[in-house]
Amino acid sequence: MFKKYLAVIVAFILIAVSLVILSQSLRRPGSPGIMKKLVFEVTAPLEQGIHAGVDSVGGAWRRYLFLVGLEQENRELRKKIAALQSEVNYYREMSLEGTRLKKILALEDSTVYPTIAARVVGNEGSSPFRTILINRGTRDGVKDGLPVISPDGVVGRVIETSWNYAKILLVTDYNSNIDALVQGSRAQGILQGGGHRLSRLKYVQRTEEVKVGEAVVTSGLGGMFPKGLMLGTVARADKKDPGLFQTIEVVPSVDFSKIEEVLVLQTEKE
Amino acid sequence: MAYYIVIPFFALLLVVLQRTLLDLVFGGRIGIEVSLILVVWAGFHLDMLRGGVLAFVLGFLLDCLSGTILGLTTFVYVVIFVLSSLLSPRIYGERMLFIMAYVFLCALLEGLFLFAVYWFVYDTDVSDSLLRTTLPQALVAGVLSPAVFTLFNRLGVDVYAGEAR
Repeated sequence: MFKKYLAVIVAFILIAVSLVILSQSLRRPGSPGIMKKLVFEVTAPLEQGIHAGVDSVGGAWRRYLFLVGLEQENRELRKKIAALQSEVNYYREMSLEGTRLKKILALEDSTVYPTIAARVVGNEGSSPFRTILINRGTRDGVKDGLPVISPDGVVGRVIETSWNYAKILLVTDYNSNIDALVQGSRAQGILQGGGHRLSRLKYVQRTEEVKVGEAVVTSGLGGMFPKGLMLGTVARADKKDPGLFQTIEVVPSVDFSKIEEVLVLQTEKE
Repeated sequence: MAYYIVIPFFALLLVVLQRTLLDLVFGGRIGIEVSLILVVWAGFHLDMLRGGVLAFVLGFLLDCLSGTILGLTTFVYVVIFVLSSLLSPRIYGERMLFIMAYVFLCALLEGLFLFAVYWFVYDTDVSDSLLRTTLPQALVAGVLSPAVFTLFNRLGVDVYAGEAR
């Protein structure tokens, strides 16, 4: 009999007790009661321990995410650096070009002849022939035989022209022969290109006193190059070889591997 | 007898886990009320005394730890358990869809009761919380209930086997 109604009695008791607790709580809100305090005391350390564990795992996870983010950021910053580096290089290039063009302009102002400024568009460094291509041709007034100079000195002379381009034979080419004189001693000779080696100042009398380091300039003879243009400096001068002339080696004043802009001197009269 | 000694500790552990680890699943925004699913499960699988005590203890612990009104969850859990117990002889409570729908409704009932208490006793409208918290929480509980039921089925078998020994 009792067992038959046990479920109903239990259900009734549980509902009644919970209702009593609820009504007490609603009547006197804020009073914690001993049971609540006990539950707090038992669960708080448990929760604290779990939270500490979760926090440490969460911390590690956040650090991992932070590192992943950092890696991404690092990659993006590297890209940015590369882009900025390229920009800096561009501006540096512009600045250098500006400096070079300033020099060219100064040179243009200092020459008595009309000039044609040109940009080097081809440089056959590996060829046995020492020539360069410039972006000015007959349309701009460039003609065969005209001298070409740079702020550092004589570059060479025009040997071929098209409408928009011209080929320049450099002073270092074996076929280049320019009337020259040593500035200090005034000794005259012909500067012949030496290809990849130093140029040679030929036909200088043994009686002439030529010193190392002296400047070699155009003599103006032959009418092709105006007088006084820088060709190079004496690197070696000796009289050991038998014969009438001494051996003089000259370092060109122009670094042909770095030449970018030149001036074509219009020495021919219209 | 061992059951009644173990049950408070088990309930305590479950409630603590629910409040800590499971709370992290949705970043603390939506809780996973495994305790409610357990109460429903108990309604279908345990007798009135065992299940009733379990529901009461679970509700009371939750009230102590997170509720502002002591007895509210206790009452709701006991009611849900009794309802489930009354339904269990009439309905086959192992069908997945039924479990999901029933747990969802029970979670809603809990939310509605909370809403009613606040409305009638404190004259406060907590419908915003009903929509933002109770509804998604009920959905999550409903979706998870079949898996939790399976887990408790296994645990329940183990407990009974332990008692039988």
